[in-house]
Amino acid sequence: MNSSETFHVVATELVVGAFSVAGLSFTLLLLVHFGILKQPSWISMFDHVAHFTLTFGLAATPFAILSGLSSAPGEGLNSPILVNKIFLSMTGFGFAVGCLIVRWRLGNNVWDSKKSTSFHVASGLAACGLMLLTASAGGTFSRGESLLDMFHLPYEHVLLFPILVSLISLFLGLAILVLSWKRMNAISSIH
Amino acid sequence: MKSRIHSVFVLSLLLLCSIFGAAEPGGNGDSLQDLQCGGACHGDASINETSTTILSLSTDETIYVGIPTTITLTVTNFETSTSGLIGLFLLTDMTGHSDMPQDAGWEILSDANGGAMNYIEQTLGPGQNETSISWVVRASSLGSTTFYAAIHHGGGYSSPYFGSTASGHEVSVQPVPENLPRLTADFTPPTLRIIDTPTELSIQTQFTETIQFEWKSEDGLIMNSIVNSSGENSWTTTIPAALQPTTVQWRVILEGEGPAQTTPWFILAAEESSWEIEESAVYLQAFALLFVTAGIVILLQTRLTSSPSFAKYDETSVVDEALGASQNTSPDTTLAPIPEGGLPNGWSEEQWELHGHDYLAGKHGGDQA
Repeated sequence: MNSSETFHVVATELVVGAFSVAGLSFTLLLLVHFGILKQPSWISMFDHVAHFTLTFGLAATPFAILSGLSSAPGEGLNSPILVNKIFLSMTGFGFAVGCLIVRWRLGNNVWDSKKSTSFHVASGLAACGLMLLTASAGGTFSRGESLLDMFHLPYEHVLLFPILVSLISLFLGLAILVLSWKRMNAISSIH
Repeated sequence: MKSRIHSVFVLSLLLLCSIFGAAEPGGNGDSLQDLQCGGACHGDASINETSTTILSLSTDETIYVGIPTTITLTVTNFETSTSGLIGLFLLTDMTGHSDMPQDAGWEILSDANGGAMNYIEQTLGPGQNETSISWVVRASSLGSTTFYAAIHHGGGYSSPYFGSTASGHEVSVQPVPENLPRLTADFTPPTLRIIDTPTELSIQTQFTETIQFEWKSEDGLIMNSIVNSSGENSWTTTIPAALQPTTVQWRVILEGEGPAQTTPWFILAAEESSWEIEESAVYLQAFALLFVTAGIVILLQTRLTSSPSFAKYDETSVVDEALGASQNTSPDTTLAPIPEGGLPNGWSEEQWELHGHDYLAGKHGGDQA
């Protein structure tokens, strides 16, 4: 039976690989949409690749989070880096979920205008960036060094809200999600 | 064809780059590791370099079962990477598995870094190519055991180096003489303490009448602490608080009916108090971040995206067309009234539509004026 450390490495590699491809595809998609890369025939390909890899990475993320928690040395959340990893990965998870849901429900309409295209690509890239940042924090935690160390990111500091604020934010987030879902259903062609 | 050559060139370049990667240049941290770790990271014959390091193990001449003893590893003649990090193993076999001292019935009581691991890492200063470290171990049974040491380190071109002792160091464990003053067989010395807090040690002994406690900090100056008896063969003493992350070593000199005994130097490391956080608040905030982020993304994207269903019922073009048609008919309503005698001579209906007003205004056909 493989240890949770090995399982975490496998899950992390799947997540990082998938999100890296998604990020690259979103970037190229943006370049094509804005005419910087003059290959309109690539739009459909990058559209599919970006969203498929984002879905795949999203599916592997919970395994990476859970195996990461169980493989961390010591008991519980005993390092600020671990806490920041949770926050970063869950925020990235939220960006990815939002990005995929709108692509599913609104279809090709997300590419209708420059504003809509920019926002959609930005949300996809934010998801990818946060996941890669999470992986970088993992490198700092386990090996003491990471590729992004050059930016001197404050992994040792945790911005923890009081429980009441988190609770209000949670309900606020759920309310926004429900309202936006209803609004999206109202304009969606998929029923 | 040209693109294929480019692809092959890029792939070849990537494959060539792979040999420049080092194994774990930042180290793995102190841990219980068998030699298989070396096989995974530094021991792979296809990527590693053979270390020229000379490893030498030494122990006390006499080792008793159940009594702590020191194993010292002296390391010389090695090079390191720019980080100066080396990893050192204490092993009882070289087969690559089940070769930790614990597997041979030995307990590690303390290591050089203030833990109780058989694999420890040390960072050496620039130019330093010799070091010596110790483990305090305790045998649980009689007999002989052969100890080995191994080393991982970096070097030129970031190559991972691996080396081990040329031959094993055999130790023989003897039965304890009667009435020998000693620590109890189940005494486990603490290896860690918190900064700014004095450490109260409770020491259990056997066949001991008096005890002397010595400790030294990293400057090597040996100090004594007062020992209080808290019962028969039970003693307490206090080590002053550490003001920064550092190590102290301590030992006791035991006297009784048998010959006086001095324990090995036990290492006690001071570290910052462990980091704590309310986990429920963390998880709650994490899920709040997830839902808020997803909700905002969907909400804003929905606002920015045009509605396909609205477009389906959008009749703007039809209305525009109808309006356009009605506007095209407007010239009829403003058509100049045809004179009672009918159209002027030579005028067609189309000419009247276009220039009828001018005719009535006297700008055409001066015969009316």
